[in-house]
Amino acid sequence: MFKKINLRRKTALVTGAGKGLGRACAIALAEAGAKVIIISRTKNDLSKVKKIIKKTKGSSRSFVCDVTDEDSFKSILNKIDSLDILVNNAGTNRPEHFTKVKRKNMEYLTNLNMKAVFNIAQLCSQKMVEAKNRKKIGGSIIHMSSQLGKVGCEERNVYNMNKFGIEGLARGMACELAKYNIRVNTVCPTFVETPMVKKFFKNKIFKKKVLKNIPLGKLASEADVATAVAFLAADTSAMITGTSIIVDGGWTAK
Amino acid sequence: MKLFLKDINVKGKTALITGATKGLGRGAAIALAQAGGDIIAIGRNQSELDSLEKIVKKLKVKYKSFNCDVNNYDQLKANILTLKKLDILVNNAGTNIPEPFLSVKKSSLEKILNVNTKAVFNVAQLCANQMIKLKRKNSSIINISSIFGIVAGQNRTVYSMTKFGVEGLTRGMALDLARYNIRVNSVCPNIVLTPRTKKYFANKKYSKYVKNSTPLNKVVTISDVANTITYLASEAASMITGTSIIIDGGWTAK
Repeated sequence: MFKKINLRRKTALVTGAGKGLGRACAIALAEAGAKVIIISRTKNDLSKVKKIIKKTKGSSRSFVCDVTDEDSFKSILNKIDSLDILVNNAGTNRPEHFTKVKRKNMEYLTNLNMKAVFNIAQLCSQKMVEAKNRKKIGGSIIHMSSQLGKVGCEERNVYNMNKFGIEGLARGMACELAKYNIRVNTVCPTFVETPMVKKFFKNKIFKKKVLKNIPLGKLASEADVATAVAFLAADTSAMITGTSIIVDGGWTAK
Repeated sequence: MKLFLKDINVKGKTALITGATKGLGRGAAIALAQAGGDIIAIGRNQSELDSLEKIVKKLKVKYKSFNCDVNNYDQLKANILTLKKLDILVNNAGTNIPEPFLSVKKSSLEKILNVNTKAVFNVAQLCANQMIKLKRKNSSIINISSIFGIVAGQNRTVYSMTKFGVEGLTRGMALDLARYNIRVNSVCPNIVLTPRTKKYFANKKYSKYVKNSTPLNKVVTISDVANTITYLASEAASMITGTSIIIDGGWTAK
């Protein structure tokens, strides 16, 4: 009945793997036995993650790449033999009030959080479908969404638009890729203890407001989110597709 | 000790499962025992409770059973009050009598409401109070819902009414119990092949309808659901509360 999360003999690609959630996911997947391909813009971050994975006796390959550069990403896929799991994680946020959102910020966020997310998902799906035994061994794509892909929040309108979009993308992809036994899901965390959120939390009023809104009264840890990602990556969730695991301590239940 | 991959286990925890003798309840009991948990089974069939005992005890965990109808409030209460340990509830006992809306019998409505709504509420309330009284830490309640807690299905108006209700109850309980660090979630499986649904699947037209409505084109297994229950029961899911994990091969993504 019960199976442990086990990713041996699987290859997983993680974008935005240099820091925060991407880094945690890459390490967690390696800890579950996967060979991990880590992608980030920052070489120094990648070497640090690679070192940690090596220490936990995992295996990884790293590539410096800006995910908005499609050609560069394509060339990485050409260098790898096969792909079973994608953690489509790279993303960012620039909170601004709706009436004050700068055009260049809207463009920047949308290019990264939607256009690049779409392109990477499409390229990786094409790579996954290549495997002749895909239907038998299955595949899993996990988009890093957010609780803000489910509910609105002040000064998060562009991010809301992007993440609600990813929720739609995941469901559409799930319907189309089911015939290849490739599952597509999202993970929707609340605010997580990451470098990005630590920056927002310098604003004390914001910090207080966030904690008040999480019924469990604490932030999610990177491990909480990475474990949900690993659960969705593994055969433990073989019939879960086109849905989300919300890791938000109750934020969206209200 | 892993850095970011939390281990899914329930070692040292005690789990109560209603409707434990058959189908999903039995699967959940075995999975939780395999994950190291002590088991308290509630069911109405003594020989099935005894046969479950044999399986669970082989896994070297403790087993206790109550031969009790969840509709019998007084007996239920007396049994739950005797418990010295309680960390996990799998609120599973449920039923269904598929009928077209216009011909739903009053007796069917009463029966389904009694089991799926009133008994589910009572079991949850009694167990939550006992968890609080025993000052347990990191408890988890899993209500067994259904895709029909999210979408409608033909001849399932009453079942949908009760399962949508369970979704609401789950969210409300999550808010009220967060301060006691009791997490509350539901799992929403597609139509799983169980002793109860066997007769539905015997109808070829129905069996085809289920597969055709499931993008992954497979029937959800008891083990698929039991694995998700075990994840939610464990501290690996310690920031997941007030939400549902949908195990439906993409049914509700459409």
